[in-house]
Amino acid sequence: MRKVSIVGIGHTVFGNLSEFDLVDVMGFASGNALDDAGIRDNRKIVEQVFVANMGGGILNHQTGIASSLVSRMDMEPAMAELIENGPASGASAVKMGYMAIASGLVDVVMVTGGELMRTVTGWEGTDFVASLLHSEAEYNYGLTLPAYGGMFTRMYMERYGLTERDLGLVAVKDHQNGEKNPFAHVRVPCTIDAIHDNENAHVINNYIAEPLRMYGMCPVSDGAASLILCANDSPKMKYFTKQKPILISGVGSATDTHCVHNRKDPLILDAVRLAAEKAYKMAELKPDDISFAELHDAFVILELAISEEVGFFERGKAGDAIRNGVTAINGAKPINTSGGLKSKGHPVGATGVSQVFELVKQLREQGEEGRQVKDPKHGMAVNFGGFGNNVVAIICSKGEV
Amino acid sequence: MIDFSAYGVQTPVVNAVKCPSCGKLFYPAPMICSGCGERRDPSGIIFKDWETVSLSGECTLLAWTRVYALPEGYEMQYLLFGIVEFPNGLRASGRLNVDQPVTGMKVNAEVEVMENSKGKEFDGFVFGS
Ligand SMILES: [Zn+2]
Repeated sequence: MRKVSIVGIGHTVFGNLSEFDLVDVMGFASGNALDDAGIRDNRKIVEQVFVANMGGGILNHQTGIASSLVSRMDMEPAMAELIENGPASGASAVKMGYMAIASGLVDVVMVTGGELMRTVTGWEGTDFVASLLHSEAEYNYGLTLPAYGGMFTRMYMERYGLTERDLGLVAVKDHQNGEKNPFAHVRVPCTIDAIHDNENAHVINNYIAEPLRMYGMCPVSDGAASLILCANDSPKMKYFTKQKPILISGVGSATDTHCVHNRKDPLILDAVRLAAEKAYKMAELKPDDISFAELHDAFVILELAISEEVGFFERGKAGDAIRNGVTAINGAKPINTSGGLKSKGHPVGATGVSQVFELVKQLREQGEEGRQVKDPKHGMAVNFGGFGNNVVAIICSKGEV
Repeated sequence: MIDFSAYGVQTPVVNAVKCPSCGKLFYPAPMICSGCGERRDPSGIIFKDWETVSLSGECTLLAWTRVYALPEGYEMQYLLFGIVEFPNGLRASGRLNVDQPVTGMKVNAEVEVMENSKGKEFDGFVFGS
């Protein structure tokens, strides 16, 4: 298969953008990616656009978003499709972009993910995401993603002895990184004293879905991110001299049972493990080769569980890693250098694209002061859809073209 | 509208299904048997619809949570949810109604008519003591 590189990246701030139009927000990130790639005036060389979005139809009453974005960016007659894969829509769109180029169909692709979730109330946003659950056996009861996050957290704590303080340490680490990320939604510092140790900590850090507290969950965010992809062997590579291309070295995804209760051991995230294994195999890399990772911490427990499932740590041992600073920005395996979903935010359709944006930024060594990984070679993103029923893993590598 | 309830008392029920070829049980119902590949036809026209087996009674609590973020209009402070396993090996998610839930405890699955967040009625599980 052809090698594919990322040659341009764009991002909007994540936060409350509900006064803006969904396609404008996506268009702003897309424009940033075109500018970063140095092809604003040559934008018609983009032959294919993939748009990642989960809720435009439900939350914003907008459909046909991919066609709309192409037109708003004056990029006709590029081919354009919408990719909806729940909260993993973003990395799925990156995967489709990779596939379109690797197959030989096209040479240059733009992938843009975006979501406007704050146009509705907090509950309506949660209820919208819950519509991906099994309608009869899960959703009907009022079960939501946070409810499954809570049950998963309790099972993990009871089996492996993880504490609420350990969960707090993940949030503290994420906020340390997010505070330095200009695109992050929640850029306030967060200390373990304020959210756990202090006697009044639980006033600000109340339970949402026991034992998950407010600081164990990502915020509801708006925002968009965009990438420009090009085939390494394409003559069009000559347009992309502004930035050092970053190789997409591994791509994998997998599915698991729709109903969480039908997994033999609900703590084992088969789709995460299989997606990562495929990506490692394609990249010819092992977990130890990965310099840093963006892992889908919609609930902080997921950062820990995913880091074990992709082989960074033994099962049940990710708690030791967070306690010992292994996953901090200056640790041996920095995780969620962007602040993660916890601090950077989680506009569902944008998240996977934003994770890959962060891989590229780190591999170019363009991270802000205090959140640049030292000499990174390979970065991994894991975008977690459903409650683990559709997961996409992407590995990016520094390398020669 | 004709009130058919006059013709018989409707008892709320949650059904598992049984593969007619190999006997494997499922909840919720799939469209193909993971044991033998038999297809299910909910219309019963092309293939047989599958025999149903009502699920209720004693079961074991595998996981639970107390959720405080509830839809507007809910009067209660929180809702409890759980995942249980029945003696036949089937598992289900549902609402939990136990004062002090403990993982691994025996609970009793009862089926009640309840409403989802859109106000639609359905027959669902309440796991009580
Ligand atoms: Zn069968």
